[in-house]
Amino acid sequence: MLFFSFFKTLVNHEITVELKNEICIRGTLKSVDQFLNIKLDNAETTDGARWPHLCSTRDMFIRGSVVRYVHLPAGMVDIDLLEDATRKEAAAAKEKAK
Amino acid sequence: MSTPEQEAKPLENGEGEGGDPSGFLTDILGSDVTVKLNSGIVFTGTLQSVDGYMNIALEGAREYLDGYAVRQYGDSFIRGNNVSYISAGKSPNLKN
Amino acid sequence: MEEKDEGGHAEPLDLVRLCLDEVVVVRLRGNRELKGRLHAYDSHCNLVLGEVEETIYIVEEEEEDEQSHVRIVKKQSEMLFVRGDSVVLIAPAEGIQDLRS
Repeated sequence: MLFFSFFKTLVNHEITVELKNEICIRGTLKSVDQFLNIKLDNAETTDGARWPHLCSTRDMFIRGSVVRYVHLPAGMVDIDLLEDATRKEAAAAKEKAK
Repeated sequence: MSTPEQEAKPLENGEGEGGDPSGFLTDILGSDVTVKLNSGIVFTGTLQSVDGYMNIALEGAREYLDGYAVRQYGDSFIRGNNVSYISAGKSPNLKN
Repeated sequence: MEEKDEGGHAEPLDLVRLCLDEVVVVRLRGNRELKGRLHAYDSHCNLVLGEVEETIYIVEEEEEDEQSHVRIVKKQSEMLFVRGDSVVLIAPAEGIQDLRS
């Protein structure tokens, strides 16, 4: 749930999604779900010459499992908050395992 | 009443012949192990802990590629899905 | 087992928890490696790393002399989410030693 909540804080911000097949797509994060599937608006490939068939696609739904990385704007991330949330999630996961 | 309980106990701990395979892993905690990954990379080190996903924590891990040591780690966490096998002891086919 | 719980090293992910806000090296599938500061993780090994350097090892086969050499590509990213299913290994950068001579 940690990363689902985290991505929800990034909605309406510009992100770059790098897929496992090397394709990079930049766009505005419109929504995300618990599987970390991603909906992008104003999407464009960062290398249009390599994947011309993607040039005309503006709206995209990306299945979470094909994502390798998501490049984020560093200014949008509250690092202290994120690390605290991570510690809480880890503690909760441990409690659940008992 | 104590006798049947004593007989059953080793099985619960996974120590007996009928124990489950993960009993082997808890038995070798703290000892030197060799871990081979699906990619062919081999690690040796001291087994700190293992969980249900076969995630592994190794202390003083050493990484081997084609039998040659390439890197030394202080501690390392290995994600369980990449693990091909965990064997007790250090494999004799590894150099230095 | 209860005594170990208090030691803080009862399960492998505890090692990752101790790396929070530290610089880690992450080995990934597909001959990739990341080095950066760990800001978040979960039980799937999804990660967020800051000030990241990615190293990609590309093996290039040369058909003429049947030799292959490795080309190294490096990329930087200020903040990176890494999906856990690509993760192979996580280790604190401090204490890593290259043994190749």
